[in-house]
Amino acid sequence: MAAFPLTSNFQGDFVLQLLPVDTENTMDEVAAAAAHHSVGRRVPARPGHTLRVRRQGASELMPRTLKVSESGLKPMECIEVIWE
Amino acid sequence: MALLGRLDWYNLARTTNWTPGSVTEDELFPPDMSGSMGIPLSKWESYDEPYKQTYPEYVKVQREKDAGAYSVKAALERSEIYEKADPGWQSVLKLHYGAFPRAEYSASTAEARMARFGKAPGMRNMATMGMLDEMRHAQLQLYFPHELCPKDRQFDWAHKSYDTNHWAVVAARHLFDDMMVTRGASEVALGLTFAFETGFTNMQFLGLAADAAEVGDWSFSNMISSIQTDESRHAQIGGPLVAILLENGRKEEAQRIVDMMIWRAWKLFSAVTGAAMDYFTPVADRKMSFKEFMLEWIVSQFERALMDLGLDKPWYWDQLVADLDHASHAMQMGFWFWRPIMWWNTPAGVTAEDRAWLEEKYPGWSESFGTVWDVITDNLLEGKKELTYPETLPMLCNMCQLPIASVPGPAWKVRDFPLEYKGRSYHFCSEGCQWCFEQEPERYAGHLSLIDRFLAGHIQPPNLEGALNYMSLAPGEIGDDAHNYAWVEKVRAARQKAAA
Repeated sequence: MAAFPLTSNFQGDFVLQLLPVDTENTMDEVAAAAAHHSVGRRVPARPGHTLRVRRQGASELMPRTLKVSESGLKPMECIEVIWE
Repeated sequence: MALLGRLDWYNLARTTNWTPGSVTEDELFPPDMSGSMGIPLSKWESYDEPYKQTYPEYVKVQREKDAGAYSVKAALERSEIYEKADPGWQSVLKLHYGAFPRAEYSASTAEARMARFGKAPGMRNMATMGMLDEMRHAQLQLYFPHELCPKDRQFDWAHKSYDTNHWAVVAARHLFDDMMVTRGASEVALGLTFAFETGFTNMQFLGLAADAAEVGDWSFSNMISSIQTDESRHAQIGGPLVAILLENGRKEEAQRIVDMMIWRAWKLFSAVTGAAMDYFTPVADRKMSFKEFMLEWIVSQFERALMDLGLDKPWYWDQLVADLDHASHAMQMGFWFWRPIMWWNTPAGVTAEDRAWLEEKYPGWSESFGTVWDVITDNLLEGKKELTYPETLPMLCNMCQLPIASVPGPAWKVRDFPLEYKGRSYHFCSEGCQWCFEQEPERYAGHLSLIDRFLAGHIQPPNLEGALNYMSLAPGEIGDDAHNYAWVEKVRAARQKAAA
């Protein structure tokens, strides 16, 4: 376990934000952490939708149970958190 | 004895490229300090400055200007303009005074660089007066806010800002140190006087002067107009230099510096002037939108100036014009949401009247930035103020040092421009900022943004308290909503009326 900073680019938000997570967090947990800083603050909630994570510019989504330590993400890399 | 007319002796008197006897030309004018680009001394003598002013003339005119600015201030001191002004306008003053007066001293250093190391005699003459201009600007803009300090402690930032690590000051210093105090005379003339002063100072000093007059703040309007009359003179230093560089095959170098500094100035002014014009100035007093000012003062004017001088439009021109639709809104939204880390109080600027103005000036605003303000407004109406504060930091660009921000909502188009350089990751807000870095990576690579410093453990404890302390924001200086959320009640009343 180790602290791991990412950059969150949340769908519909206006700014990139520093997102402190842990190497043991899954992508679902990363998405939830990102949502904490955007949904209900500047982005309206979307009931019935799931949040998913992808690398910036990638078309494929990362598996929901994939851990940060297994993802190949680099510290401060920009992830896109999008509604599915 | 009859005196000769100025034009009968001016050229002879300022032709001071004497042949050095005891030192070499490069010792007299070190190439790095002069930015001579390998052009020999003799070629610089064709520099033809458009303002041929003598020192006695300069002193006479400046004395009159100072007398005008100070007498208007003295006459209006008891008129309580400040006390009666809208809190949004008060914040324009706080933002302006914190951002610019101390930078004027840097500008004076820049003019001194040209006055001593410029290889063109005419440049040296103009820059000597420019150097004095910039001292005057610093002193005026420190003196005027000084009387406001007892009224509001946030005005302390006029003097203290440049000695702090406040994030916005880091952004301003990063640009001004690059443009003004760490380059040779030619680069200073191209970057500061041509790219920056011919256009962008017009925006802040004429554009805001017009808004100030509408607000009724004649003291501020008169003072910054007085400053601008100096700027419009010494801004002419760069033009004749471009002619010499082009005649001697240095167009590429000239274009590169001009392109870098127009982009860099644009980014800073999108935050400072953009937010002030589109949100801080009360809607009834706004002369034009920031976009309209930019199109008139920067886009059209620079296109003409660049063509007249034989330079090309910067490669990013279309992108800059496209960014006019969203840049000021994104910066203001960042100012407001992260309001505890500002030395001014940011107005939300989203009453029904404001929103109508924004939609008229920026069609599509309601569907983009408006959707974010809907969430914020609903939270305030429902008593969930805690959700209108951040719990993390915005990512800052490693070039302009401003938040990496763009269009929110359904047309969401925010993105990072990442770059790996010598094992370190850099993040940029735009292709333009990344391009500036790539022009001279070694120049910029060592700098740490506030986010880099936070991650490196420089900010302790790593929370809001630590950040406020690191940025020297004392109690009584920390920002909040400019109107103390009174606008929320206006929205509530309007909604209740509509529902009734």
